[in-house]
Amino acid sequence: MLSGALIRRFVTRELRNRFAGSLWGGFWALFQPLLQLAIMSFVFVRVFSARVPGLDAGGYAPFLAVALWPWTAFADGVLRATTSIQENAALIGKVAIPRELLVLSSVAASFLIHIAGFIAVVLVLAVASTGVHLAGLLPALLLYIPLAALVAGLALVCASLQVFVRDLAQALAQLLPLMLYCAPVFYDRMQVPPNYRWLFDLNPFTFYAETFRAILLGHGTFDGGRLLVACVVALGVLLVGHVLFRRLKPHFEDFL
Amino acid sequence: MSALLVRAEGLGKSYPKVYRSRDRLRALGRLLLNGANPDSIGVLRDIDLEVRRGESLGLIGENGAGKSTLLKLITGVLTPSTGRVTVNGEIGALLELGAGFHPEYTGRDNVAMSAALHGLGAAQLRERLPQIIEFADIGQYIDEPVKHYSSGMIVRLGFAVVAALKPDLLITDEVLAVGDESFQKKCVKWMQDYLEGGGTLLLVSHSMYHIQKLCRRACWLRGGEIVMQGDVFDVTQAYLAYHEKKSAPAVSSDTNVTAGLEFSVSAVELNGQDSQIPLMLQWGDAVRVTTRIRSRDGRTPSLAIGIVRVDGTPVYGVTTDMDGTAPMRVSDHEYACELEFEALALLPGSYTVRVHSMDPEGVRLFDTVERTFVVRGTSRESGLVRLPHRWKGAHAVDGAA
Repeated sequence: MLSGALIRRFVTRELRNRFAGSLWGGFWALFQPLLQLAIMSFVFVRVFSARVPGLDAGGYAPFLAVALWPWTAFADGVLRATTSIQENAALIGKVAIPRELLVLSSVAASFLIHIAGFIAVVLVLAVASTGVHLAGLLPALLLYIPLAALVAGLALVCASLQVFVRDLAQALAQLLPLMLYCAPVFYDRMQVPPNYRWLFDLNPFTFYAETFRAILLGHGTFDGGRLLVACVVALGVLLVGHVLFRRLKPHFEDFL
Repeated sequence: MSALLVRAEGLGKSYPKVYRSRDRLRALGRLLLNGANPDSIGVLRDIDLEVRRGESLGLIGENGAGKSTLLKLITGVLTPSTGRVTVNGEIGALLELGAGFHPEYTGRDNVAMSAALHGLGAAQLRERLPQIIEFADIGQYIDEPVKHYSSGMIVRLGFAVVAALKPDLLITDEVLAVGDESFQKKCVKWMQDYLEGGGTLLLVSHSMYHIQKLCRRACWLRGGEIVMQGDVFDVTQAYLAYHEKKSAPAVSSDTNVTAGLEFSVSAVELNGQDSQIPLMLQWGDAVRVTTRIRSRDGRTPSLAIGIVRVDGTPVYGVTTDMDGTAPMRVSDHEYACELEFEALALLPGSYTVRVHSMDPEGVRLFDTVERTFVVRGTSRESGLVRLPHRWKGAHAVDGAA
């Protein structure tokens, strides 16, 4: 039932839904991140004069950008997929449809949009010669694979719970920014007192923020062991999500 | 016997009672812990159903009887609460008006989505798209958003997709009623061809005409349970009789007060059978109505006998007075009389015989006794009686029903 044609259709539909009715459509997917990059460079670098130890004045924009775009994919992926079952209530209970598809196509659409934005931002940063290694782009894109698996797992958990407890999406909208500020995205781990640095390892996004920087900026070192742990965590979360979703999906129609 | 396509065993569906948000949380907890969900409202109970390849089954029943729920369980749109259902083949389902269609997208996009949902690959879709568009026959609207469609156009499009899929089992839920006359005919014709080609059909309809035309078996659901299952004519007639009875005005049949009446009906037999159980007849059978009337003061009563359909529509009525006869005296206060209808022309259905005792002048009516009989048969003629008729300038066709 989960045929290639069906998956393609759903992801395309999801992408079209996100830009439905907008005049420029997919153009926004590329334009928005670049505009955002310009605004952030101005606000953080010129207004706040934000600095990270070991980087010069111009270094903050790429430092923030290469970690913030993966975060956007993460947060947007989880948040949108959480309501994906609820929003497609019209389909569930009317047509025979693999229900995972609704969640996974939502995650896929988020990632496709934000990876495109990520590529655009990295290319612009490289052209502006801000110290971004263009050779790191391909490994960086590969790093999106465990990130996507992690998000898919979280999305399956959240989407199935959201059907029963509608407060979840509200709570997530508050919790995700908190998680962002508790990860070394806007700052560096080295900027906090040494006693508390280990706490960052509890945040699953810390690894991704730091590894994207290591790959693209050479800031910090790439650690193969941590990559392995991240992959295991991602697969574990995906497995939990799969099991929970399978347990709850027969009852979705009763609670929608 | 051909292969089993659908098998439902002890199938049931119930919805949880969820009134407050707190109930949802409790339900979630229960589902996670032991999978049970006790507080629920049953909509379907203990359904055992088998559909073999090449069969055509009609589902009938009142609104809310569980017909649509049963279809949704079979198609896998809903998950059964109890029992299980197995389907060995591809299902093409037309369950609800425009289900699965996205209102913002064009007909063409929605066809593609719908086809993908039915497991059609991109290449197969390209190949069958012209055929689908031709069958739907909605002209330029195919490139308009579905939200601008009329309900008839939505059904046309939906049916066109299912028709192109040529599924092993076709399931339709009272969607034909929305299409116009010519489209309905087109669909019925298509379904007949499909059945002749070995297709299997599961049809929900409130139109007994469609059910009898397309289905050989029928299943009557009431309050979530199967009341009757079997030959389409038996089931539809029983169902119609039930409805006729339901909509008939309540007739007071208070017999306690008859003793004091001047003329009372003391016995009525239909073909020698004196019981409240309906008498079963075939078309063209004879009916004898044997009656006994008590006359309090010994005067000769007159008698009226009428036949009405169960819903109260009068078919025929006659009195002894009109025909210039009178009941025969059997004792001081007893009179007897028999009326025979030879070769009853009534079409299949349920009927009631009413016997009224009247004064000798045939003016005042004193007592009424009713007996029911059922004319069985597979005639598709409509109306109450078969009028003698002959076709002229026509010739016989093979396979005419």
